[in-house]
Amino acid sequence: MMYPDPDLSDSISAALAAVFGRARRSLVVVHNGRFGAGAGVVWRAGGVIVTNYHVIHRGRPRLTLLAGGRREFPARVIAEAPEIDLALLQAERPADYASDFPPAPVADSHGLRVGQIALAIGHPWGQLGAVSVGVICGISRVPVRGPRGSVDVIRSDVRLAPGNSGGPLMNASGGVIGINTMIVGGDLGIAIPSHVVEHFVEESLGEMLRV
Amino acid sequence: MSQLNGNNILIALSDSMAAAVEKAGAATVLVDGRRRLPSSGIAFTSDLILTANHTLEREEDIPVILPDGTQLAAQLAGRDPGSDLAVLRLGKPSAAAAERVSGDARIGQLALALGRPSPEGIQASLGVVSAIGGPLRAGRGGLLERYIRTDAIPYPGFSGGPLVDSAGRVLGMNTSGLVRGASLAIPVGLAWQIAESLAEHGSVRRGYLGVRSQPVELPSVQQQALGRQQETGLLLVGVERGSPAEAGGLMVGDILTGIAGAPVGDPDELLARLVGDLVGKPTPVEVLRGGQLATVTVTIGERK
Repeated sequence: MMYPDPDLSDSISAALAAVFGRARRSLVVVHNGRFGAGAGVVWRAGGVIVTNYHVIHRGRPRLTLLAGGRREFPARVIAEAPEIDLALLQAERPADYASDFPPAPVADSHGLRVGQIALAIGHPWGQLGAVSVGVICGISRVPVRGPRGSVDVIRSDVRLAPGNSGGPLMNASGGVIGINTMIVGGDLGIAIPSHVVEHFVEESLGEMLRV
Repeated sequence: MSQLNGNNILIALSDSMAAAVEKAGAATVLVDGRRRLPSSGIAFTSDLILTANHTLEREEDIPVILPDGTQLAAQLAGRDPGSDLAVLRLGKPSAAAAERVSGDARIGQLALALGRPSPEGIQASLGVVSAIGGPLRAGRGGLLERYIRTDAIPYPGFSGGPLVDSAGRVLGMNTSGLVRGASLAIPVGLAWQIAESLAEHGSVRRGYLGVRSQPVELPSVQQQALGRQQETGLLLVGVERGSPAEAGGLMVGDILTGIAGAPVGDPDELLARLVGDLVGKPTPVEVLRGGQLATVTVTIGERK
């Protein structure tokens, strides 16, 4: 054992900074006029973005590229799943996204462990790109309307606030394990796991292809 | 470990905290002793569960769910409202016993609060040991010698669960029942000691002297008579008739400065010393009497 290693804290800080630096490149701000703002994650190349349904269900969302010079883009809602609070957006000028916005690395959210590090980035209270660190508190299964019947949700102690909605919850490698969706009791974060998100995205894009 | 660099160090930390939760979670049980949300408990031996007294609304056939899903009916072995601790007996060795830290908690060290209020699985939150304080007067003659404060979030149902270090060793038992609006942890040394007493006697034995006292400053000449630096002692302003103090020869005007070899400078310290093993035993009590050091032997009574 080499502990205590004087450089250990430095290494951890550097690793955190690197993970969050990467995450910013796939993070968007979803503006929705007087209906507020939330976050979104670039899920597929070509400007396909995942956010929460409650962020966009009213009004006319516009996107800002957090790491892309603050340019604004109109966005089109291409799919919604209110029962699991997810929505899929298409940026209207996908060419820009292809170069500026790499899709986020998505991790498998099966087999998550309670106690493992959970990282969040979003826009709490309008503070753009703010980050926080916590752990996974638990995994529960909750009933939902519709054919799914029930879905897994990730509980985390990561400090979240309005404006984190639609932003990523990540593991220690920076892989997206969920979309931060709800705050319960002021201090419990609820995220929709990435395997549920991925299924929703595949289903939505598949349907579009069939049309 | 020095080979770790880049993200690996973060992944290693993450894995090790998840392993800590798994390890301590194997000794954390669900305790369904009240109408609302269940609380948590720690297996401190394979058939004894430590939990938070305030979460128990009954004493018999309390449903306990083990980490593997087994449901048992536990019986109350003892409870102590003063420290908010209670011990349940499972009746047969059924649980994996928790491992405790060997030393004291350190301010700033990582700490995970664990709870199992739902059969869905273990729950955890991350923080640090924020402060170590005490003594804390906890009502009904109770006095908690020391407590741990943490910034790990005490989610509903976490009372009775363990606060563990990053290796999954128990630092203390979490409870929100001692101080309104705050979650504290009772340090494992103290909690285990009280738990053993509860398992054996059904209650915590609190000692009784039978004196009224007030703290007074000790002038330097009296500190010289003591042979140590001690700024305060307890001036006895009353000795109850028929009390252990009277029987042992304590008198009004004595300044009590120590008991059982430990210095006593204020009433809290005296209260803290009068717990457990001393009860019923002849115990040396150190006093300053007329400026001279004297030791009298008092058989400590038990407060009912």
